[in-house]
Amino acid sequence: MERSVDRLWPSQNFSQTPYWAFRDDDLYREEGERLFRGPHWNYLCVEAEIPEAGDYVVGYVGETQVVINRLEDGGIAAFINSCAHRGAQLVRNLRGRSLSHTCAYHQWCFDLDGTLLGVPQQRGVKGCGGMPKDFDKAAHGLQRLRVTSYKGLVFGTFSAETVPFQDYVGPKLIEQIDRIFDRPIKLLGYYRQRVEANWKLYLENVKDPYHAGLLHLFHVTFGIYRPTMSGKVMMDDTHGNSVLRTADIDENQAEVNAVYADSAKYRPDYKLRDASLFDVEPDYPDRVTNMIMTIFPNLMLGQVANTFQIRHVRPKGRREFELYWTYFGFADDDDAAIEGKLRQSNFVGPAGYISLEDGEAGRLVQNGVEARPDGDCSTVEMGGLGPIEDQDTLSTEIAVRGFWQHYTRSMGIPCAGDAE
Amino acid sequence: MTPALHSEASLTAAEFRDIRALLDAYCRSIDTDRLEDWPDYFVPDGLYQVLSRENVELGLPAPLVYYYSRGMMQDRVTALRDALTYEPVYTRHLTSGLQLWTDGDAFAARSDFAIYQTTQEGITRLFSVGEYRDRIVRDGDCFRFRERAVIMDTFGVQNLIAIPL
Repeated sequence: MERSVDRLWPSQNFSQTPYWAFRDDDLYREEGERLFRGPHWNYLCVEAEIPEAGDYVVGYVGETQVVINRLEDGGIAAFINSCAHRGAQLVRNLRGRSLSHTCAYHQWCFDLDGTLLGVPQQRGVKGCGGMPKDFDKAAHGLQRLRVTSYKGLVFGTFSAETVPFQDYVGPKLIEQIDRIFDRPIKLLGYYRQRVEANWKLYLENVKDPYHAGLLHLFHVTFGIYRPTMSGKVMMDDTHGNSVLRTADIDENQAEVNAVYADSAKYRPDYKLRDASLFDVEPDYPDRVTNMIMTIFPNLMLGQVANTFQIRHVRPKGRREFELYWTYFGFADDDDAAIEGKLRQSNFVGPAGYISLEDGEAGRLVQNGVEARPDGDCSTVEMGGLGPIEDQDTLSTEIAVRGFWQHYTRSMGIPCAGDAE
Repeated sequence: MTPALHSEASLTAAEFRDIRALLDAYCRSIDTDRLEDWPDYFVPDGLYQVLSRENVELGLPAPLVYYYSRGMMQDRVTALRDALTYEPVYTRHLTSGLQLWTDGDAFAARSDFAIYQTTQEGITRLFSVGEYRDRIVRDGDCFRFRERAVIMDTFGVQNLIAIPL
């Protein structure tokens, strides 16, 4: 593969991440080409947002705004939100219903699949002007993405090379998607966070179970997540997609006390005055308390306690991203189940007991690395320096190494020591 | 907002003054880092919610914060003091546009807010603008919130929401 930027990754085993990965403007531009326009499935929306013909939502692939439409035949089409004529933003509301889209600037009108339907004054006015006689509307449609949908999750790609979605994420992730999306979902709302950090810092965060039992006291103290619980880190064959899963089994108190003996982060004395946050019937009997799945490049599907969320990491320049949360329950949830999910929304989102600290972690790292010398790198050795493979522990950063391995391959960045 | 209630013309001058004092004291407690006072502005089973205007307008129920007891608010304060990791900032509330209604028994209020944050290096940024929607009741010789909904226009939250709004 042609080299993308004039950079060399410092470690072949991905146990070091160079800080320029979070700072380099050229790298950021190249990500737009190789990741977001490359052979990858980018999250667009959920089908539940566009149930009826003509329903649309506006989403993002990288920084490119795209419109996702429900077609009259029930299919889904997506195109770049930019007019085929002079490039104006075509759809101006983030959500709505319309059986065609007309540009405000010169009233060019497009079908839901992006086909150009009408050009005002195509034949001129009073016999003068107008478009050339051979103007071909069929050649001036909107720029479309290829779309796929799996269990109600909608993805798009600009590349013809992208492999089918099930192959893209692999069987281990499919099993986890199937676990949650085993029935129609019900939208409960959106959260948006603007974090002043490179988007990849959030991916590192959600692939790192090591921090979860140390940064998040709330997590630890109230038993949503502790490294002493039964935990697994699983990856697909590319190592770019991963699942971190924690279940409240196989844990004994002596181990918990030993792990947190020197830490102020586990506070058995810490009692809630109102613990009704935890009185929520879990939807699944498997005692999974925390499940974080990431789909390369920038999607996260998660369960924290009995909350279920999609988190889309939307880059907004090299040192800012929007974390766009879609918070959901299930269509067959009764009022008590919905109420439980609203209660436990206090764990997640920008104000959530657990999630708020991840935004802060991103900011702290970006601030910390912004002025570090170019050769400086992070240390990613938790879990050992062995092969990048699944591990049955939460005391590991193996999935972070896996992410950078797939990232550098996808970006065409060679590693120091690679054969030329 | 609450057509069942009468306009503020039917409030007594003392009620108007005391409710204003509640609204102002709430902001002062937060802006002077007396967070421990915050839960006491609510009745014991009071409701404090932070809502995104986006969700409110879409009719979607997910709250950013949903505390339905004074105990939950006290738990938040404890967590802010002892547990949570967030950037320490000064805050400053500016409020305006107060409207009040009453049915003689309970009171409803709405007002606009702007919350500024100032960093440890003295840089001030506008953190959030939005609207308070309140239900207020007389509790002994003072007024407290039965409900306070904080509806954020700035639902693209700047990093995170730590302390009460």
